[in-house]
Amino acid sequence: MNFTLFRSVLRNVTSVTYRSNKVFSLCGLPQVPRTIHTTCKQYDLMEFFDEKKNWNESNIRVGRSWKLDELRIKSNGDLHKLWYVLLKERNMLYTMEHECNENVKLFPNPERIDKVQESMDNIETVIRERNIAYYKLETGETGERSVDEVVNLLGLNEKYQKQEYYLPKFMNTRWVRSYFEHGYINSLAVKKFYRLYKEKLYNIERKARNRDFSHVQHLLKRFPDMDMEKLKAEYPNVDIEKAKRSKKARGHYMPKY
Amino acid sequence: MRLYNFLCKKVGDLTVKYSNLPESYIKRSYEQVYWKNPKGYPQYPAAQVARKKFRFTTNRPWTMQFARQNERTKLNKKVFLEPVGEWSVFKGDRVEILVGKDKGKQGIVSQVIQERNWVVVEGLNTHLRVVGKDKDFPGITIQSEAPLLVTTGVKLVDPETLKPTEVEWRYTEEGDKVRVSLSSSRIIPLPKAAEETFDYKSKELYVENPAKDTVAADATKITFEPKLCTFEMDIMESMGIKEDRVPAKSYWY
Repeated sequence: MNFTLFRSVLRNVTSVTYRSNKVFSLCGLPQVPRTIHTTCKQYDLMEFFDEKKNWNESNIRVGRSWKLDELRIKSNGDLHKLWYVLLKERNMLYTMEHECNENVKLFPNPERIDKVQESMDNIETVIRERNIAYYKLETGETGERSVDEVVNLLGLNEKYQKQEYYLPKFMNTRWVRSYFEHGYINSLAVKKFYRLYKEKLYNIERKARNRDFSHVQHLLKRFPDMDMEKLKAEYPNVDIEKAKRSKKARGHYMPKY
Repeated sequence: MRLYNFLCKKVGDLTVKYSNLPESYIKRSYEQVYWKNPKGYPQYPAAQVARKKFRFTTNRPWTMQFARQNERTKLNKKVFLEPVGEWSVFKGDRVEILVGKDKGKQGIVSQVIQERNWVVVEGLNTHLRVVGKDKDFPGITIQSEAPLLVTTGVKLVDPETLKPTEVEWRYTEEGDKVRVSLSSSRIIPLPKAAEETFDYKSKELYVENPAKDTVAADATKITFEPKLCTFEMDIMESMGIKEDRVPAKSYWY
């Protein structure tokens, strides 16, 4: 494994250096060496891989993901840094997972990917909260992309996220206006579709209702001494008195109700 | 929404807590999706072909044994579960057994399997199992505990009378939620073992991995200072980025 890892890295190194040279020559950027170097020690492309001592480990112990409350007490700069730490970690995990698959090995602790992803989602949530607070204070609006409730082509309710255009609506001939303006709602085809769609939804609901009723009947048959209040709490839409009276709810014992 | 319902609600929250794994990982480790419509195409509904019925046993959902028990070809009879309301028996609790050959004996709960309303009591309600039997090896006989139903199989023991009792969840004057024994009205405290997870016995005993974990002191340090700017403005200011360009007029619709 180690050998393959190294070989693939070498291959990547050559390709990237080649490309980077080209980019520099194209843009004509001045290659000034930076005097102060604040980031940690760099291992070039080997940063995409885990530390070498973890390569043959079968269990890499890590803690849990960052919670929202722990992120709320951190400054914007800290969140920004943490985001890139997590991003690098996620890249590393994806690389290691791929490399383990290539070498037909088990990737140790795959839940680390989910933990990192959860932390990154939480950071996004916290930043969004802060930005919303700022915009609400300054402008009275959330500053989020607005979502409209519209009726779509098939007569169904849909959430439409507004998009940014450089032309105003009345000038934009390529924007299909009729799409959201009930243009087809009265047509025969849409009416037929809508009727069948409602029927489908109704059938799903009806089947769920019958399934629950039958399930309660079976429960009454199997557990006659069950706590009826708990049953009622779990299946609020089922008529339990009716289920008790049915033949299906009777077991091989003297009926109790 | 329906997809979510039939996949996520099955694993009990005590199981998730015990595993110490993210819920998304538990879900993706046990689900079996055979076909999923591609995303981002309006002509395809969000449909998928996946296994809906899983057999939950003492094998935990994220393990290989669980996957083997729920192979694609295996279909099991439906299991009916008596509704239990709010869960009240936890790992480390002293319970009395009401059924079986150890009826009347008291023991400590060693495992809780919420998906089946099961608890395993340490060293009680056992049977003999022969493991590792081979052509030329007779195998080793071990005692293994059979699970018991929380509804009819066990009852919590009152700490005062040491007799089995019904319990109820109530609130104290401080607002804490506690279990109260109905026979002597005494609070039954939650055992220390209830917070045990797959990784550690209790939160204080967790040993940090310095290479991967953020140390607790850094994680709890408060660095937030309120400022009248957005996240982006703050970062740009701290990095010395100045943006003078005025964006062109645009329209949102």
